[in-house]
Amino acid sequence: MDHAGFIIASYVLTIGGIVVYVWRVLSRGRRLAEQLPEEDRPWI
Amino acid sequence: MPITAEQSAPATKTRRSATGTPFTRVLGLAAIVGVVWLVVFGLFISPADKVQRQGVRILYIHVPSAWLAYLAFIVTGVSSAAYLWKRTRSLVWDRIAGASAEVGVIFMGVALVTGSLWGRISWGVFWTWDSRLTTTAFLFVTYIGYLAVRGLGGSHEQRARRSAVVALLAVLEIPLVHFSVEWWRPLHQQESVADGKLSGLMLFSLFVGIIAFTLMYVWMVLHRQRVMTMEDALDDKGLDLALAERRAEGQQGSGH
Repeated sequence: MDHAGFIIASYVLTIGGIVVYVWRVLSRGRRLAEQLPEEDRPWI
Repeated sequence: MPITAEQSAPATKTRRSATGTPFTRVLGLAAIVGVVWLVVFGLFISPADKVQRQGVRILYIHVPSAWLAYLAFIVTGVSSAAYLWKRTRSLVWDRIAGASAEVGVIFMGVALVTGSLWGRISWGVFWTWDSRLTTTAFLFVTYIGYLAVRGLGGSHEQRARRSAVVALLAVLEIPLVHFSVEWWRPLHQQESVADGKLSGLMLFSLFVGIIAFTLMYVWMVLHRQRVMTMEDALDDKGLDLALAERRAEGQQGSGH
């Protein structure tokens, strides 16, 4: 495959960037949930 | 003022997502399946293009991420308008606007990076100051500014009002970015999908990308919006606690 480095890099950077963002959001959510009662989380 | 776990009613510690529901779990699973499908189709099954050759594989993530960024910023604009309209005024709209803008910035960043890699293959350069690239970069910076405005101090209502005004101004840039390829005839190619330049498996791979990224967008906005709800709740509790401490100090002072 021509330009395999650029093509694979684009997929890795995309998926990697999204995974890092999702991980940060979920871990912040867990930290906050430990400090709040369940009534402050109406989606539960 | 941050409050400690002891000061507030402690919630049960769980290893599962604090912002998840059965719906978001199904949605998240569907998004993961979609992304795996996209990688398989985009990298292995889809054929090379006659003109762009292997470089077309980058378009399967570049185009969906750019479209999702537009969608995210439009959702931010509509939610902001809903907040400013008295009949529908609710901080829920403000949080949806903020969450959508944040996710939109992620997708816009992905579009810029993947576009830059595609440009290196097709044009021989990572970046050129043509109208599409320049307006896209400007849009990206504008929404980073929007997120900075959200981070300024003040009450939740003040934050919601000023960021809603910024969002309504920022959303006007989207037509400028989208139609820049028609108005100024830049180096960037025009519409590939509407012009029928992609067909068969290539078009299908692009749609797989759009579906996967759309599922991911909805999932990310739901979770981020719930995290924002908890951040606001914690802020309110911190404020209540500070006021209670101040009152207690005041009563002690008057007692002496």
